[in-house]
Amino acid sequence: MDSKEFIANVRRSLGREEGSQVTPSEATHMSLSSQQVESWAQAITRGIEAHADEYMGQLEKTAVEAGWRVARCATAAQAASHIRNIVRDVEATSVLHSAHPALEALHLGETLIGTGANLEAMVLNDTSDREVQRDALRQKAINADIGITGVDYAIAETGTAVLLARKGVSRVVSLLPPVHIAVVEKGQVLPSLDELFTLRRKEFLHNNLGSYMNLISGPSRSADIEYQLVTGVHGPGEVHMVLIG
Amino acid sequence: MQPRIKQFPQLAAAALKDEQIQNNLLGLYNGFHQARIAASEATPNWDELSDRGRAIKAHTIDNLDYYLEMVERTVTAAGGKVFFAKDSDEATQYVIEVAKARGVKLAIKGKSMVSEEMGLNHRLEEAGIEPVETDLGEYIIQLADETPFHIIAPAIHKSKEQVSDLFQEKLGTPPMTEISDLAAEARRQLRKKFIEADMGITGANFVVAETGTVALVTNEGNGRMSTSMPKLHIAITGMEKVLPSIEDLGIMLRLLIRSATGQRISSYVTTVTGPRKSDDEDGPEEFHLVLVDNGRSKLLADPALRESLYCIRCGACLNACPVYRKVGGHAYGWVYPGPIGAIVSPMLTGLSDGKDLPYASSLCGACKEACPVKINIPRMLLYMRHQLAEGDNYPEHKTAPLGEAITFKLWRLSLSNSLSLKIFSGLARLLQKPFAKDGRINKLPPPLSAWTNLRTFPALASRPFRKRWKS
Ligand code: SF4
Repeated sequence: MDSKEFIANVRRSLGREEGSQVTPSEATHMSLSSQQVESWAQAITRGIEAHADEYMGQLEKTAVEAGWRVARCATAAQAASHIRNIVRDVEATSVLHSAHPALEALHLGETLIGTGANLEAMVLNDTSDREVQRDALRQKAINADIGITGVDYAIAETGTAVLLARKGVSRVVSLLPPVHIAVVEKGQVLPSLDELFTLRRKEFLHNNLGSYMNLISGPSRSADIEYQLVTGVHGPGEVHMVLIG
Repeated sequence: MQPRIKQFPQLAAAALKDEQIQNNLLGLYNGFHQARIAASEATPNWDELSDRGRAIKAHTIDNLDYYLEMVERTVTAAGGKVFFAKDSDEATQYVIEVAKARGVKLAIKGKSMVSEEMGLNHRLEEAGIEPVETDLGEYIIQLADETPFHIIAPAIHKSKEQVSDLFQEKLGTPPMTEISDLAAEARRQLRKKFIEADMGITGANFVVAETGTVALVTNEGNGRMSTSMPKLHIAITGMEKVLPSIEDLGIMLRLLIRSATGQRISSYVTTVTGPRKSDDEDGPEEFHLVLVDNGRSKLLADPALRESLYCIRCGACLNACPVYRKVGGHAYGWVYPGPIGAIVSPMLTGLSDGKDLPYASSLCGACKEACPVKINIPRMLLYMRHQLAEGDNYPEHKTAPLGEAITFKLWRLSLSNSLSLKIFSGLARLLQKPFAKDGRINKLPPPLSAWTNLRTFPALASRPFRKRWKS
C-alpha cells in the first residue's frame, strides 16, 4: 500500500487532523534535547571512570549469573595466559579475532604459539576485492573453534558485553564459533542499560550509530523443550568473559 | 493462517482431557510465571518502570501516524526500505516479490508472530521458496505443521518423546532421549540452512522511530544468524511496535524480557539499522522493514480497545491466566492465545466468529496484574461481551441468540417479585428432579448440557431458604 494512504488511514482511525503537531511526552526520552543528551553523556563518561572499580566488581558477579565463565585478571599478561589456557582446553585448531583495541595488548600471536592453534584476524583489508574477502572470512568463521573479541562497553546491571559495528568487527566472530571469549577492560563498564542507550543516542546524533549492535549476555540457550535449559543452540555454548584490571 | 477461533469450546474441551498438555502447562506456571514474579521483585522501581513503559506506549500509539512517518524517513535514510501493508496478503506479496527479485530459494526465519498471522510459510512454499523456522520451538512446530502454543515458547506442549518421534519421522534421525541431543540435532540441521540461505526473515520486538532501528530479542542466537548470514534481511512486524527514541529501549527491554522469561536480559539483544555499511565486515546488503496493519487500525479506532496495542507480547498474561493454564494455546484457534489473544484475535479476524473468546476469562484480573504495561484486559473483555450482547459499536457482530435473550428476560421476571420467584423456583425444583443427585446436577440435556459437560451444578435445595427460616 502507498505509505501516504496507509498513514492517512492510521490518522483517521485515531481521529487526528492532518499536519497536527506532536510534542513528545515527557515519558519518552524523545523529549530530551540534544544538549541534554550531550551533558548526560558527559556525566556518564565521567561516572564510569570514577566508579570503574565498583562497576567492574558488579559486572564480575552479574556476568557469572548470566552464564559467562568469568576471569578477573590484574594485567594484560595474565589475561593472555588465561586465554592461552582456554585455547588449550578447547583443543582449538582455529582461532579468529576481531580488531578491538583491547586485544592489541594481549599479543595474541605470541600468546598462542605452541598451542597448535592457527590465529587469524577477521578483518577486511584494502588490497583486493571486498566481496571475495568477505566470502573467505565467512568460511573461516564457519570453521573456527574460538572467536575472540573486545567489547565497546559492558553492562554491570545485566552481565552484558556490548559489541558495536565498527571497522574490523565482524558480526559473526562472536556468533559462529562454539566458543566466544570477550575481553573487557576497566573503564568500559556502564552501570545499566539506560547509560548505554543514552550514549547510543548521542552517537546517533553524531551520525555514528552504525548498522548494528549486539548485546551478548551469556551463552546461546533455549528452554523450548519441556522448559529444560540447554546451551549452545545456535550461538556459542561456551562463553568466557576476561576482565582486565 | 486460517483462524479456528470459532471452535474454542471444542478445542478447549480436547485440551482439558490431554494429560501431556496439562502437565506441560503446569511447567509453564512453575517456570515462567514464578520467574517473572521473582525478576520484577528484584528490579528496583519495577512499578515506576511499568508506569513509564505504559506512558511511552500510550504516547506513541496516540500519535502513531507521526511516528510511522518518522520510521519511513529514518529507515530510508539508513539505506533500508519500508513497506506498509494493509493486510496479510499485501505483506506476503511484498515479501515474495522481494525474494523473487533476488532469486531466493531458501529463507531462514527468526520468530515472527506477524508472519504466523500471514501464514507466510505456506505461501512461500507455494512460491517455490523453502522457509525454515530457526527458533527451536518454531522449528519443532513447523515440522509438526502446528501453530504456536505459546508466544514465547511455541512448542512447550510437546514432550521430548514427541519431539524425538517427530525428528525421526521428518529428519530420519535415530530416537533420542536427552533434550540436549535433540537441541544439538536441531543445531546441526539448521547450521546448514543458515549457511545456504539467501534471505533472513525476522520479526521485530521494537522499531525505533528516531533512528530507524529494529530491535530483536532472542536467547538462541537465531535472530543474530538471520540478520548476519544471508544477503537479504526482511523484518516483518505489526505497526504498533514503534517506540519514539532509542533511549526508550532500556525501559522497554527490561519490561519485556523480565516479564517473558524472568531473565535480567536475554542472551542476545540485537539492533539493526539499515543494511551493512561499505566498511562492515559482513551483514546483509539489503534491508526491508514491513509494517503490517491487518486489522490493527480497528483497535486504534475504538478508544475502548486502543490500549490492546500497547502489548509488547511478553506472554506474562498467558502464564498468569487460570483459563489459559487449563485450555492451553491451541484452544484459542489463532496466533495470539490467552487473555490478550481473546481481545486481539476476534478483533483482527472477526468478532462474531470469536464470540466465545471474550468469555474465556473469569475476569479475575491476574492478567492485568501480570502485564508489564498495565493493560486493563478484563475491562476490554467485558466491553467486548457487552458489544456482542447489546452494544452498538459493532452491530454486524451482535450475536446474542434469541434463546439467551429470552432466558435472561425470564430470569429478570422471576426475580422481580416474591410471587414470581416462588412460581419459578417451584417449577425449577420440579424440572430438576430427574437430573439432581445428592444435591448436584451432573448431566443436563442439550442445550443446557454446555453447563454440565465439564462441571457439575448445585441443585436447588428441596426446601427453599425462606421456608426453613420460618420454621
Ligand atoms: S497484554 Fe501485557 S502481559 Fe499480555 S502479552 Fe501483552 S504485554 Fe505481556
